[in-house]
Amino acid sequence: MITIEFSVNDKTYVLEVDPRERLLDVLRNRLGLMGTKEGCGEGECGACTVILDGKTVNSCLILAGQVHNSVITTIEGVGNRQSPHPVQKAFVEVGAVQCGFCTPGMVLSAKNLLDKNPHPSDEEIGVALSGNLCRCTGYDKILRAVKLAAEEGKQ
Amino acid sequence: MKYYQPQSVNEAIEIAHSSQGMFLAGGTDLVLQMQKRKIQPKALIDLGRIPELRDIKETKEYIEIGSMATFSDMGQNQLIAEKAASLWLACQTMGSPQIRNQATIGGNLGNCSPAADGLPPLLALGAEAVLISGEGEKQMPLADLLEQTPLLSPGTLIVGFKIPKIYQLSGFAKLGRREALAIARLSVAVALELDGSKAGKVRVALGAVGRRAFLSDSLAQALSQREFNESWLELGISQVQGVVRAALGDRASAPYKRVAVAGVFREAIASLRQQGGLDK
Amino acid sequence: MKTDVVGSRVLREDSWGKVFGQTKFPADVNLPNQLYGVVVRSPHPHARILSINSEEAMKLAGVAAVLTAKDVPHNSHGVLFRDQPVIADYVRMVGDPVAVVGAETMEIAREAAERIRVDYEILPPIFDPEEAMKPEVPSLHPELQPTNVLYHLPIRRGSLEEGWVKSDVVVEQVYKTPHVDHAFLQPEAVLAYLDERGHMVVQTATQYAHYDRGEIAHALGFRYSQVQVKTLAVGGAFGGREDISLQIIAALLALKTQRAVKMENTREESFYSHSKRHPMTMYYKTGAARDGKLVALQAKIIGDAGAYASWSVNVLRKSAVHATGPYAIPNVEIDSFAVFTNNPFTGAMRGFGAAQTVLAYESQMDLLAKKLGISPLEIRLRNCFQVGSITATGQELTSSVPLDQCLAKIAPYFRSEVETL
Repeated sequence: MITIEFSVNDKTYVLEVDPRERLLDVLRNRLGLMGTKEGCGEGECGACTVILDGKTVNSCLILAGQVHNSVITTIEGVGNRQSPHPVQKAFVEVGAVQCGFCTPGMVLSAKNLLDKNPHPSDEEIGVALSGNLCRCTGYDKILRAVKLAAEEGKQ
Repeated sequence: MKYYQPQSVNEAIEIAHSSQGMFLAGGTDLVLQMQKRKIQPKALIDLGRIPELRDIKETKEYIEIGSMATFSDMGQNQLIAEKAASLWLACQTMGSPQIRNQATIGGNLGNCSPAADGLPPLLALGAEAVLISGEGEKQMPLADLLEQTPLLSPGTLIVGFKIPKIYQLSGFAKLGRREALAIARLSVAVALELDGSKAGKVRVALGAVGRRAFLSDSLAQALSQREFNESWLELGISQVQGVVRAALGDRASAPYKRVAVAGVFREAIASLRQQGGLDK
Repeated sequence: MKTDVVGSRVLREDSWGKVFGQTKFPADVNLPNQLYGVVVRSPHPHARILSINSEEAMKLAGVAAVLTAKDVPHNSHGVLFRDQPVIADYVRMVGDPVAVVGAETMEIAREAAERIRVDYEILPPIFDPEEAMKPEVPSLHPELQPTNVLYHLPIRRGSLEEGWVKSDVVVEQVYKTPHVDHAFLQPEAVLAYLDERGHMVVQTATQYAHYDRGEIAHALGFRYSQVQVKTLAVGGAFGGREDISLQIIAALLALKTQRAVKMENTREESFYSHSKRHPMTMYYKTGAARDGKLVALQAKIIGDAGAYASWSVNVLRKSAVHATGPYAIPNVEIDSFAVFTNNPFTGAMRGFGAAQTVLAYESQMDLLAKKLGISPLEIRLRNCFQVGSITATGQELTSSVPLDQCLAKIAPYFRSEVETL
């Protein structure tokens, strides 16, 4: 077992973990943050996307030890019903949510893009979301939602 | 399983010697192999806390890239965009944004998949690999390293790569099943010196057409020191098809790849011409 | 009538929970002290199980139970026919469950699953449906059909003989489509437990909760009223969650151990365990007169049902009914077949048998147009269903058939090179 200290959604945790545990397992099983999903377990689908030190990563491909001293944002740390993040609001308004399993990862990829690049081109949006699969094939509305969120940010 | 996070290269080498552990770079391949129980290391030595391994810098003769530089680090780096375009291009299409943020160039070599995206550009650009072990540091051409089996002796750490500033132009193209998140079915990297309107020294490397990425001597010979024009391109296409035919033999993918490589080679050259401003 | 809903934009209420990551999918629910279940699946497509040795697995600390076919009270389930075992002692496809382990952690359960030794008598498999349908080939389901032909639907209209006489051009081709997986984004997951009344509660993602309930009750020997299926957020389905996956196995493990049981497929297990889209081989011979009118169609459609029936009957029925496409043809002979093989079982998937035939009939239209020297658009305009058309099954279309209007709308967007193909 090893001890790791890290911040998740602005809260600091010190945990004893088995070094083979994946970040995904730590978030879901230790911290009960079930919004991070496991779709494929091999970095293909992006359902387990979290923001690690300002960058999106697949939490299924990262070991707990690798995030020692890191700052992580999961979907639970982005907006809530009282004050939804513009991306979340836009997803609901545009109808970019179907089965919802890809949604947390999509929202995090989109949020991270807009944090760094508030006025992305269509191509930049496409690239930023290219690591997130939606099997309901709702891509068109998802892209439109991110565009809408960016436009709202302009005003 | 033990887990170490050394703060320096020397510390990492010492731990490797005493623990018989495996080095962990980004982990996008290794974590998956562990998850599938294909690899069960006694100890892991996480290289993520050694800042110097992540440097990308320019020296008098080289562009130097630390082994822990991620594909995002390289793909967003101006120096690499200008002086190692082939590698920069490969960084734009490798995996997905999430994978690029985590996967490293050293891990790409360590894992050494036939389809490793980073290796054909490094080969074409004539990169030297810098290695360190208990016996000390050594530097050797990546092309020579890739002929060794096993690739690295136990306890050897990949420190980084030195790309000589010889080739003004380089290009890269990859064929995948889809645009994003696609493992290369075929990739071509080309680097060349320009000598007026002539191609000087030319190097061509291929990925996903054999056990490991490789540099083609016959292509280099056929294409070097010639007028750089349409017939040069046509010569390159017919030659590269021959190389793929020879490399794949009667493998199931051969009939497809030896045709497809024509288009991939053409795209690689087009990407090279673009940065050279040769297409006016 | 004016309402707040019909004719106005409505926000999906469930999307709020989903954008905040609050929505519960079956993988997200757990109970204290639950066991974890892992299935051992057959690596062979056709085999008889001679023995299963779980001694080494049971030795592992934390293993609570290993169940095999003999532990299932009524070992069958299926949407149309109960032809699929809950846990197999006779294997008909790679991926058939042959044992299930319950353990204190997922890691222990996986480790134990690897230690189970299954002794198989390997039987010759059959993968080609056209071979499988021959009368001399032994049936994989003799209790259902004497041969591997599970289903045959003939459709006859007019006279084919007359049709060929009137045909100025004839196109004859064979079309084949492959297996396709739904790859819904959330792999199968189940939480099963007995409640304080001794009733079985199964929380899962399903397209068909009341059917799951009946099959769980049947297999366990419970009354229907003693089983409760709670559908959590589905996480994509596309037809792939119409059959039973882990529901009964998890419930059985919960019953035998009197513990709550959690099961979750990896993506790989998901691929091995659920239905696929039917691969089809479609023999098409289509005739048209010089004026571009279709006059004859002979079609033979062979659908690979794989190891179990699932929805094959309904799927191949739909293939037959849709075999002409949206085109009026007066003389028709269509035969569709669903055939058992040792391939993965096939069932419902978006389009449900109608998707495959599109490849055949639309390709035929393009080839006929080329032979007739008219455009692909023109041949469709001359033959498409309209109000008053009679389909191959004899149905008169009486309203809402605006295909001609649809084609007219898209006509300006056809590029000239497509136009002449």
